[in-house]
Amino acid sequence: MKRMFLSGNEAVAYGAIDAGCRFYAGYPITPSSEIMHMMAKLLPEAGGVFIQAEDELAAINMIIGASWAGLKSMAATSGPGFSLMQEGIGYAVMTETPLVIVDVMRAGPATGQATKAAQGDLMQTRWGRHGDQYLVVLAPESPQEAYDLIIEAFNISESLRTPVVFLMDEFIGHGREVVFRKEPGEIKLVERRRSSDHEPLFGSDDPRIPPPMPRLGEGYYVLVTGSTHNEYGYRDVHSFETHYKLVRRLKEKIWGNIDKVFKYEVIGDPGRAEKAIVCFGSTCRSAKEAVMGLDNVLLIRLITLWPLNYDLLRELLSNVRLVVVPELSLGQLIYDVQQVIDSGIKVVGVNKVGGGVPIYPSEIKKALEV
Amino acid sequence: MFKIAYLGRGGQGIVFAATLTAEALYEKGYYVAQLQNYGASVRGGSVLGYVVADHEPIKNPFIEEFDIIVVLHEEGLKRWKRLVEKSKKIILDKKLVKTNIPGAIKAPLSTIAEKEGVYQALNIVAVGAVFSILDIEGIDKVIDKLLQKRKNYEVNKKAYMIGKRSFQHHNH
Amino acid sequence: MIKHEHLSLKYMRREVLPTAFCPGCYNGIVMNALFQAFEELGIYDLRKYVFVSGIGCSSWIPSPYIKADSLHTLHGRAIPVATGVKLANPELEVIVIGGDGDLASIGGNHLLHAARRNMDLVVIMINNLVYGMTRGQAAPTTPKGMVTPTTPYGNPEEPMDVARLIANTNANYVARWCVSQYLFLKNSFKKVLGEIKRGFRFIEVYAPCTTFVIRRENKTPGQKLKELMNTCIGYEKWEKLPAEERTKHIPTGVFREEDKPGFLDNYKQLIARLKR
Ligand SMILES: Cc1ncc(C[n+]2csc(CCOP(=O)(O)OP(=O)(O)O)c2C)c(N)n1
Ligand code: SF4
Ligand SMILES: [Mg+2]
Repeated sequence: MKRMFLSGNEAVAYGAIDAGCRFYAGYPITPSSEIMHMMAKLLPEAGGVFIQAEDELAAINMIIGASWAGLKSMAATSGPGFSLMQEGIGYAVMTETPLVIVDVMRAGPATGQATKAAQGDLMQTRWGRHGDQYLVVLAPESPQEAYDLIIEAFNISESLRTPVVFLMDEFIGHGREVVFRKEPGEIKLVERRRSSDHEPLFGSDDPRIPPPMPRLGEGYYVLVTGSTHNEYGYRDVHSFETHYKLVRRLKEKIWGNIDKVFKYEVIGDPGRAEKAIVCFGSTCRSAKEAVMGLDNVLLIRLITLWPLNYDLLRELLSNVRLVVVPELSLGQLIYDVQQVIDSGIKVVGVNKVGGGVPIYPSEIKKALEV
Repeated sequence: MFKIAYLGRGGQGIVFAATLTAEALYEKGYYVAQLQNYGASVRGGSVLGYVVADHEPIKNPFIEEFDIIVVLHEEGLKRWKRLVEKSKKIILDKKLVKTNIPGAIKAPLSTIAEKEGVYQALNIVAVGAVFSILDIEGIDKVIDKLLQKRKNYEVNKKAYMIGKRSFQHHNH
Repeated sequence: MIKHEHLSLKYMRREVLPTAFCPGCYNGIVMNALFQAFEELGIYDLRKYVFVSGIGCSSWIPSPYIKADSLHTLHGRAIPVATGVKLANPELEVIVIGGDGDLASIGGNHLLHAARRNMDLVVIMINNLVYGMTRGQAAPTTPKGMVTPTTPYGNPEEPMDVARLIANTNANYVARWCVSQYLFLKNSFKKVLGEIKRGFRFIEVYAPCTTFVIRRENKTPGQKLKELMNTCIGYEKWEKLPAEERTKHIPTGVFREEDKPGFLDNYKQLIARLKR
């Protein structure tokens, strides 16, 4: 382990390299650009390829191509660029292309406040694209976790053959903290399952097991398409059965693996707690300080934001009479909480966004006093 | 735990003051978190840079009350006055900050920096001032090493030493 | 009896034939020219070739008809996907086939930048003058005055000369041929597949849509083909024409031909410098 002093953005770049990422395409945008700067430096040294794309549409599509050619690939951006990437992410879901897309959130909509932290892209990570589509969303709370979790993001994307969205915010992206970088031997890496003959590349009997994925050029005559296709990749844009089977399988591939991908942290005793905080990302740091010394408050930090284990959340919150949901937005995670609690239980949002002002522990404490 | 903030105006090198402080404490083996809040443009607008350091991993880097805050420009107060008022030790530059805050120390940092010909390194004078209060063993050596890696070493070094001395002169 | 098979069949996925193209669609001519080029080059197996296309009739040529790896991508995004494939595995020959709408309108920016980078790709753009797949709306290549569903009173806009636009970039090879100039077209394919094997190579094929251009003119594809033999002339000849005559003809030919290092050669050089 190597002790370093890194911003979250730098930590993501080192983590990606350590996870085996060898292709990066991007377009500069605050507050994510440092990831791109670092990849531009690190990738050529690591034998990988870096390219500055003409826009985010190009960036996402370049990493799709690179992933099919066999390289672990990543792009990083922020809100405006993330919006442009949506069509490509949808294509990656449909074609089961492993990728990691980092969104370092700033205050939006539109150009908003480029240098100011926010958490308003949460719903977009899940529902930003048209059609029935599911992927995995992970959110670290600190530069150290950004480093560790981006490795996990690559592992999940490889094992489930899916795009993974890595959701950070400006505080994590630009904030510098001590990060311990692992040595190669200390990291467990997962690689996509390669093809064996005759196995279909776009179908499997057990939807939880993704089909294998060859590299282009290996003689499989791969047919990849974003149109509805059967398990061998042939387009079938008319049949109900083919479409329904495909989107059901793609959904089940994500939700059926919830036990493997759903990560969270709990502080406190769910049996004794009367109140709870549900949070994600950097906001949880303030929340953790707020609950220090309060033994009747439960803190639930969601590390995986999608798929979300609603049953578990319901169970954890079953005894409380108040839930506080701090968010650097006008409130999005709060809908998840409202979905799982009984009516009569109070849910309070602590919402602050813009200006780069964090939610302070005192504000969360105050909300808990209700 | 140390919680140190620098507040001023774009172009004053506020973020670098925080960076130097953070890196020095990192070199001394602390867990450190460094954050900043600045406008998009380089010149003008308020800039806040701050550092938290501890022997334990930093639980929360979002600080409401600083142990020391150095304010180098009136501009910064427009935005962050409430945060400044909550701080334990408030140092206001005598010339560049007009507003009075009860309990604050008015230090002629910019005046001395100007007189000594290191005005462009006022941010580093501020770092010197902070470490004269904190008094961490061996910190000067670490700062020296960090400054050597950057441009304008002579001026910066002098600015740091002025910061360390000048502040003591005016408060003891 | 020796059964004589069409040369194109060995490059195609037979199980998906016949193609879904309209009867008389010129896409078939382009496919034949491409396959004949492969055959004349002695390339019989396309396992090291990757075809990338977007959305449109012409984008269906490789997906599913060509027996090779193919990525049928989003509308307009074939070039960036192809770029990713090529950079990730330079051993592969990557060929983009797409329409004028796909490559010059929604994907126009990618086309310009791939050409500027001299990205190591072959790009074949089938200019059928309209958006064929979506029923013949105007494209950036639609001639001024032409009536389409989105230009019911005649197209008020000037068309874009895509080949000559790309000829003004850093691309290694730029040519335009009409489907009526089959041999030239085939030879251009041979050139970019067998001779100039790096950098950006762009071939525009002028091939009016049978259903939404030729039929609207009350012509048959055969009649139109004969007409094109007069419409399409070498650009040196075209340049000497008086202005009003020019608009009636399509300048064709090789607009640019070089074999300078492409993006990958330059990237490799950078890596070599880094290692030293
Ligand atoms: C983002 C997006 N917008 C619109 C469409 C609808 N669409 C499909 S094909 C096409 C035009 C195709 O024209 P062209 O590229 O010239 O190909 P052709 O069919 O003429 O060969 C359009 C607009 C789409 N698929 N995606
Ligand atoms: S619509 Fe036009 S381009 Fe498309 S298949 Fe028919 S004739 Fe060919
Ligand atoms: Mg067209």
